[in-house]
Amino acid sequence: MSIVTHLDPKYISRGELALGGLRSLAPSLRYASLLTEDGFSVVNVEGKEFDSNRFASMASSTQALADAVARELRLGDNEFVIVAAEQGHVVQVRVEDHPLVLAALFTDKATIGTSLTAARRTARRLNTLLMAK
Amino acid sequence: MSEHVILFAGPMGAGKTTAIRALSEIEVVSTEATNSDQAAAAKATTTVALDYGEISVNEAEKVRLYGVPGQKRFDFMWTILAERAEGVILLVNADAENPVETAIEYVKEFFALYERGGIVIGLTRADLVPTALIEEYANALADEMPDVMIPVFTVDGRSNADMTVLLMTLVANVELKQAIAPTLSRRAR
Repeated sequence: MSIVTHLDPKYISRGELALGGLRSLAPSLRYASLLTEDGFSVVNVEGKEFDSNRFASMASSTQALADAVARELRLGDNEFVIVAAEQGHVVQVRVEDHPLVLAALFTDKATIGTSLTAARRTARRLNTLLMAK
Repeated sequence: MSEHVILFAGPMGAGKTTAIRALSEIEVVSTEATNSDQAAAAKATTTVALDYGEISVNEAEKVRLYGVPGQKRFDFMWTILAERAEGVILLVNADAENPVETAIEYVKEFFALYERGGIVIGLTRADLVPTALIEEYANALADEMPDVMIPVFTVDGRSNADMTVLLMTLVANVELKQAIAPTLSRRAR
């Protein structure tokens, strides 16, 4: 019997490594979650005040809605999602070749561009980590 | 053109996306993701935000069809979409574990929509279970909520005809409630 993605030790350990790296890359990180695209939290860092399961479910819905908009408007593949609010922003990127999404919340101390770069770099690093044996 | 907004709710694997696809006259907007929880339902993908379709009742009336994710972890989508809905089609897979209890649980979850417009229940995959179920559901509902009238049908979620009967029953219910609402509020004053 295969292990479900969010309980798979490989995803958990390499996800922890990648999210740890994101913390070093972006000091304005408030919370980050690696989640399955159907909304299960795999690993998360920082932000003890957040409900990790709820955050993962909401990130999953947001990602799917953004993908649907891109599809509906025939814009090609959706590359990332940004939710920008007064006191911070959420950046979401898919992890290529895996049914995973990285969703990270940053404070308003960082620019969206900086946060996006950090999130994309982390997703790429995670992809590399997952490809390694 | 007047419009109705109808929700499709029910547990994962009950056939909500399929039913909306069977009814919709436009290409359905879907938000499906790889299903990593095969223990909950053995299917490749699952809805994680919503399904959206449309159907015309006649030249003057359109029904917007919204499907919500089945899993409780997406219940914020239930709340968001229920806000503007007038009624709910509750689909329950009859061959699942404890389907009667599941149906009652979902009726309670969406009870505000019963009061606003109505609820109808469609039992899918009923051909896969040996007993006549409708009575069982009706009796359980009557025991649990004696003053509540909820029609129960067995349906094939893939069938446009079956789903149209279910939808039109609900739309009639919604329109009846809307028609008598002013009278009831006058009496209450």
